[in-house]
Amino acid sequence: MASRTSKALLSLGRINVSALGLNNAVNRITYSTALSIDSNSGNKDAPARGGRGYKRPRREEGAPRTENMPVDQDWTAVYPAAKTFRPSSIPLPVRMGYPVKGGAPPEKKGNLELIKIPNFLHLTPAAIKKHCEALKPFCTEWPSALDTDAKCDEHFPIKVESTDYVSAGLSVRNPSARIVHLKVKLSTLNLDEHARKKMLKLVGERYCEDTDILTITADSCPLRQQNYDYSMYLLTVLYHESWKTEAWEAEKTVADMEEYSWEGSPSQKNVLDMLVRMKVAGEGEGEEVREQLLGRSEVQEYKDSVTRLKNEGENESSMLQYKEAVKKVFNL
Amino acid sequence: MAAPTVLRRQLFPLARILSGLSHLKPRSLTVCSGHRRCAVSRFPPPLTPSASFHTATPLSSSAITVTEEPDVLFQKVLVLVKSHDRAVLDSYEFFATTAAQELGITVGKVFEPQKDIERVTLLKSVHIFKNHRVQYEMRTHFRCIELSHITGSTAKVYLEYVQRNLPEGVAMEVTKTAMEKVPDHILKPMWEDLPADDKPSQ
Repeated sequence: MASRTSKALLSLGRINVSALGLNNAVNRITYSTALSIDSNSGNKDAPARGGRGYKRPRREEGAPRTENMPVDQDWTAVYPAAKTFRPSSIPLPVRMGYPVKGGAPPEKKGNLELIKIPNFLHLTPAAIKKHCEALKPFCTEWPSALDTDAKCDEHFPIKVESTDYVSAGLSVRNPSARIVHLKVKLSTLNLDEHARKKMLKLVGERYCEDTDILTITADSCPLRQQNYDYSMYLLTVLYHESWKTEAWEAEKTVADMEEYSWEGSPSQKNVLDMLVRMKVAGEGEGEEVREQLLGRSEVQEYKDSVTRLKNEGENESSMLQYKEAVKKVFNL
Repeated sequence: MAAPTVLRRQLFPLARILSGLSHLKPRSLTVCSGHRRCAVSRFPPPLTPSASFHTATPLSSSAITVTEEPDVLFQKVLVLVKSHDRAVLDSYEFFATTAAQELGITVGKVFEPQKDIERVTLLKSVHIFKNHRVQYEMRTHFRCIELSHITGSTAKVYLEYVQRNLPEGVAMEVTKTAMEKVPDHILKPMWEDLPADDKPSQ
C-alpha cells in the first residue's frame, strides 16, 4: 500500500514538474486518474489491497557494494561526511556485541550495536590530512619570538580566561560562558610601596601571595564582552585609586600595618629600658644613652630576630635566632 | 594577489612584537578596548569537505581576507570532552591530536581525568515494598587536550573543525587563556598629569 501511494505521489510529482503553472483542479484530476489506473492494474488476484495475507512485493536485494570495492579506492570519497553504519558499504568484517555461547560476537549484518555507536569512518587519517590541507590557509603562525612562557609573561602579563561550552540540548547557550577571569602579576604593574599596600588592602581575597597573581572574576553582566570590559575597568580603577593618598590614610594605626616594624614598638621600649636599668652603657639616662644602645650590634640582632618572628611566624630557625639574640643581649 | 597577502600574514608576528615597544596599535583611552577581531576572516559559507577534495580545485586565495586587526594570542587552550562512552573518546582524541599536528599546533598534554559516576537508588515498585530498590548509574568519562601557543585565527579554525566533527552524545568545554599587554591607561597613574586638581577626598 505504501508503494502504491508512493508511486501515485511520484507520478504526481513528475506531472507537477513538467507542467508548471497548472491550477489545482487539473492537478487533482491527474492525481485521481493516476490512482484509479494503479488500482485497476493490481497484480494480486485475491486478497484486495490492504486485506489479510497481502504481502507487498519486495524487490530482490543485489550484491552488497563491498564486493565491488577495489582495495586501493579513495575511502574519503566513500565516506565523505558522518553517516550511520551501513554494513553493505563497509568492506570490514566487523563484529560487535555479546558473543553467542561458544561462538563469536554477532556479525555486522543487521547489527544494531554498530548502528547505535557513533563511528569515525569519515575521519580516517587520510581524510584528516585532506581537511587540514584545505584549512591551512586560514591559520596564522605563532610569533617565533614568544617561544617560552617566561617571554610571554614578560611581554603580555595580563591573562584573560573564559570558557566556551558545546553540548546537545534544547538550547545552544550556556550561561556559564559569560564568566571572565582576569589574572595579572602585581610585579608587572607600575606600583610603589604605598600603592602596592593599598592595592592589596583594596583587593583582599582576590590576591594570592605565593604566586603574586591578582585574579578579578567578572560574572555580573549577561555577556562575556561586558564582563571583560568591566574587569578591565576594575583593574584601571584599582590601579589609579591605589596611587592616591587620601587624608584619612594618615590615621593608619599599628593594627592596620601589614608587616611588623620594630621601630616604635613596645619590644624596642622594653629592651632599651632593661638595658638602661642594667647599666650596660654606664651611668646616665636620656636620649643619647638610648641611641647609643640602639647602635649596638646585639640590639640590632635582637631587632632582626623579633621582626622575623612576628612576620614569618614561629618555626625552628626563627626561634633559634631569637634565642641566640637574647643570650647575646644579656651576655649569657 | 597571493604574494602580498602571504607577506602580510608573515609580517603579522613581527608587527605584534614590535607594537609592544613602539605602540603601533591604535589605542583608546577609554577602558572599553576595541573588539579584537581575528586577523584572517573566512568567506561565508564554509566549504564542506566533500566538495573540496572531490573536485580537487584549489581554494582561491582572494577569498581569504587579511585584516589589520591584531590577532589574539592564546597561551593555552584546554579542550575537555565528556561522554558516556570511553571508546568514542579514544577515537575522538586520536582525531583531535592528529588534526592539531597537521595544522601545526603544539599539543601540550593529553590526559584522562577520572570518570564521574552518578548513582541513584529508587524504589522498584510503584507502591510500598520499601525493601526492594533498583539502582541506576550514569558514568561520565573525560578527556583533556591541552594546546599551547596558538593564535586566534588558528584557534578558530581548529575549534570549528573539531566541533563540527563532535560525535553525537559528546559534550565539550573549551577554556581559552588569552594574553594581553598592560593597557596604556595603567602604565602610570593619572594623578601625575593633573597636579593642580584637588584630589577628591572620600
